[in-house]
Amino acid sequence: MYVYRIMLLLVFGGYLLSPLLMSGWSSPGVAWYRPFVIWGILIALTLWLEQKRKLDEQ
Amino acid sequence: MNSSLASVFALGTSYLLLMFLCALAVERGWIGPRITRHPAVYTLALGVYASAWAIYGSLEFAASEGYGYLAYYLGVAGAFLLAPVLLVPIQRMTHTYQLSSLADLFAFRFRSRWVGTLVTVISLLAVLPLLALQVQTLGDAIYLMTGAASPALLALAFSALIALFAMLFGTRHRHKHARHDTLLTVIAFTSVIKLGAMLALGGIALFVVFDGPADLQLWLDGPGQAYQAGVAQPDPAHWRTLLLLFFAAALLMPHIFHITFAETLSRHTLLQASWSLPLFLLLMALPVPLILWAGQRLGSDQLIGSAYLAFGLSDAFWVQALAFIAGLAATSATMVIIALALSGMILNHVLLVAHPPEAQPNLYRWLSWLRRGLIATVILSGWLFYRTVGVNHDLTTLGLAAFAGMAQCLPGLLALLYWPGANRKGMVSGLAMGTLIWLVGLWLPLLTDLPALVLIPPGLEMLAGEPDWYVVTLVSLAVNILTFIIVSLATRTSPGERAAAEACSVDAVIRPKRLPLLAATGEEFKQPLARALGDEAAEREVERALTDLGLSPLDGRPYALRRLRDRIQANLSGLMGPSVAQDIVDRYLPYRRGGEEPTDDIHFVESRLEAYRSRLTGLARELDGLRRYHRRILTRLPVGLCAFGVDDELLMWNDALAELSGIDGNSVIGARRDGLPAPWGDLLSRAEQEDQLYKQAVTLDGHTRYLTLHRAELKADDDVRGGTVILIEDHSEMKWLEDELVHAARLASIGQLAAGVAHEIGNPITGISSLAQNLRYDTSDPQVLETAAQIQQLTDRVSRIVGSLVGFAHGGRHIGGSGFAPVSIAAVTDEALHLLQLARSGEDVRYHNLCPAELETIGDAQRLQQVMINLLSNARDASEPGGNIIIAAEPEGSLLKVTVTDEGEGLDARVRDHLFEPFTTTKPPGEGTGLGLPLVYSIIAEHHGRIEIESPPPGHERGTRICLWLPTERQDGEETNEQDSDR
Repeated sequence: MYVYRIMLLLVFGGYLLSPLLMSGWSSPGVAWYRPFVIWGILIALTLWLEQKRKLDEQ
Repeated sequence: MNSSLASVFALGTSYLLLMFLCALAVERGWIGPRITRHPAVYTLALGVYASAWAIYGSLEFAASEGYGYLAYYLGVAGAFLLAPVLLVPIQRMTHTYQLSSLADLFAFRFRSRWVGTLVTVISLLAVLPLLALQVQTLGDAIYLMTGAASPALLALAFSALIALFAMLFGTRHRHKHARHDTLLTVIAFTSVIKLGAMLALGGIALFVVFDGPADLQLWLDGPGQAYQAGVAQPDPAHWRTLLLLFFAAALLMPHIFHITFAETLSRHTLLQASWSLPLFLLLMALPVPLILWAGQRLGSDQLIGSAYLAFGLSDAFWVQALAFIAGLAATSATMVIIALALSGMILNHVLLVAHPPEAQPNLYRWLSWLRRGLIATVILSGWLFYRTVGVNHDLTTLGLAAFAGMAQCLPGLLALLYWPGANRKGMVSGLAMGTLIWLVGLWLPLLTDLPALVLIPPGLEMLAGEPDWYVVTLVSLAVNILTFIIVSLATRTSPGERAAAEACSVDAVIRPKRLPLLAATGEEFKQPLARALGDEAAEREVERALTDLGLSPLDGRPYALRRLRDRIQANLSGLMGPSVAQDIVDRYLPYRRGGEEPTDDIHFVESRLEAYRSRLTGLARELDGLRRYHRRILTRLPVGLCAFGVDDELLMWNDALAELSGIDGNSVIGARRDGLPAPWGDLLSRAEQEDQLYKQAVTLDGHTRYLTLHRAELKADDDVRGGTVILIEDHSEMKWLEDELVHAARLASIGQLAAGVAHEIGNPITGISSLAQNLRYDTSDPQVLETAAQIQQLTDRVSRIVGSLVGFAHGGRHIGGSGFAPVSIAAVTDEALHLLQLARSGEDVRYHNLCPAELETIGDAQRLQQVMINLLSNARDASEPGGNIIIAAEPEGSLLKVTVTDEGEGLDARVRDHLFEPFTTTKPPGEGTGLGLPLVYSIIAEHHGRIEIESPPPGHERGTRICLWLPTERQDGEETNEQDSDR
């Protein structure tokens, strides 16, 4: 459960700090697709973690 | 408004027809399981979350809150990111106990049917605005395309078709696995349609309205800034609350819960959705700002409202058709799954609780029709809510009211997983308080024109002036959580709740008790169950549970009966909800009361641990590794071992005992001691009386075995688990050896006696012979002389017999000292035959000694005589009356080949290979010792010879030939041995 606790902590931290991201996205001069690129990177990270988990369980 | 009502109706019905065709294709097997069971199908089915809100509501939200609209997608993506800690434990519970809704889960955990009813009512109230939102977008879209005065009627027609689909394909099969593929595939199909339509609309916005990404960025940095300035920056607190609401929606909304848990394929598929669902939502969210900005550039937002800007991208029918189909696909999927989920909840937690199905003649059909009626009612309620309430509100108001209502169940759900101390009273109090605040603050204002009654607790006055949805969500959840915690801590938790809390808790290992049932076999379950379910349903449910578990209806093991009861309860829970299922099994399949205090069902706990092994981490994994190691020591112990609990239930039956008894452990573990197959039940019961049973004769597989049993108590001072452990050693070979030793000692004493008797007989015989000799000198009467000669012949014969007996007695003891010397094989054979003929048995067998008198070997005459006696007696025993035994010899190089051939049945090939091993015999029990041929083998080996068996001999159809090869010259070292033995 150690890994899950770290993940919980990270997600909760991300939840608290997410408004900072929001203000960054809305700033003038920022490319309109930036939020989607960051989101895409998070998805790639989750995919990598999931693949790692699958390898660990084999 | 350039389309006719008929064309929109045709468009909508064509799409719905495609849904029907897709369902039919899966049911008929035109689409194979390779596709329907693919993880991508499950992910796309989870896309049901993207309802009409995602198509139209997001545009409205983005127009007012900018990137704040992403909260709708990121909230649920966050929930799936936490799949291992949130979704997988819930999935495990729903699978194990066949729980198909949030109400099932709550009723199971908090052990109350009323909790299930309460959650159902709250779900219904919360979902109505969401259902109304779906129908409203449908009506608005029809109006935008056609300008019809009464789009609600067409929306009603579409709703009726959607209800028909849900009734046809959602309740067709009694058990969920059969309808599983159809539903998932159809919902995945609708997700593909809406995703494709949204991407196409985004593409039109980016490449048709704008001239590509660069042009869009140019517009955003130029004229678009005026629009951006009008967008309010989302307040951080609002943003967090929105994220929380949508996060909760992923766990609690009935349609999401239904797809995520009730229709899930496997844990692996669910974990895969942790990245694939966010990817799907990213693709769904991406076109939203593009469509919004394109609409703003075209000025459509002033004409048709921001929610439906997609219709303003172009006047072309196909563009508007894309926007309409995207909405219809989202609406249809959401309405179908909401109707299925809610109808199940209302059926299980309202109707069946109020009116239990007492012996319905056709239970399954009765349940199906009830379900169909409820599906139609739910969808019609959604339409009615839209007509009476929804038309007066925007999509954001309706959606947020729904999500805030469902979020009231979030504290209960988290406590269910992570707080075993939470109890029913606390949960119900918190839920009731939170729901009440939500009802007066957000839900009732939807129905009436009265201002919202937003309660602001003292000290939180700074919330005044904030949006109603925000204040109500915060206050209701805070009151909910506080009341829940305080009441739970202040009140007592029932034992049933505590057991259910253990079953639900993420880290706890379930420890069910070993309680005996009243029924003695699975077959006996049917009759009491029939009183509740009717004959047919009872028969089917018991058979189904037996098949699921791979058990026989006559299996009477208490362990098997408990598993069967659990399985029946789980299956009934899938059919009628956990409350009714529990009532039925508690009432009709009761446990036997009284007797010993029940202890943990260790075998069941271990089997669960084996199944969860891959999920253990850290210290738990290390401890489990040690447990498995110690268990392996016991199971692989080369001595039979079994263990019983205090209630006489078998807990362990190790590999050695399984091999000895021929009984597989899995077929007896969990049985009572007296229910074990013969002779084990009786034997192990006797072992309970004494600490040790020595060499107990038991018949196993037709053979007598001698088993020694040692018993020890398992009870320790600091442990409530007692019982006994019994070691079972197979002492059969030792017993045979002991018997053989006793027999050999008796033979030795008989031999000594015979030698003494022979010596004593020798003296009178010598006297008789001398007297007969004298008689020949004293008379010339020919008749007397002949008599004297006969007396002398007979006394010679007696002397020879006596001499042989004495010689054999001395030789059998193998004192040594006689040394190796030339031995006539013919003479040895004659001597052996002579001794054999003294025995009464085998008198009608004819011996033919064909050994030439001149052939000699180098050896010990007495030992070789013993060899010939053994071989000839074996041949005699194998021969039938009147049979011939031929003893022949011939030189073969430097060896002498001696053969003993009989005409008996011959030997089995399997026995032949082991004949020289001790205790191998073909004779009936009690007649052969199995030591004769091993003795022959060792004597021949002492003589540097060899021995072989031919059965049947070459050229013969039957019989056996023993071939001996003996040396005709002295071997190196024999002189030395002789000298040593002389010393």
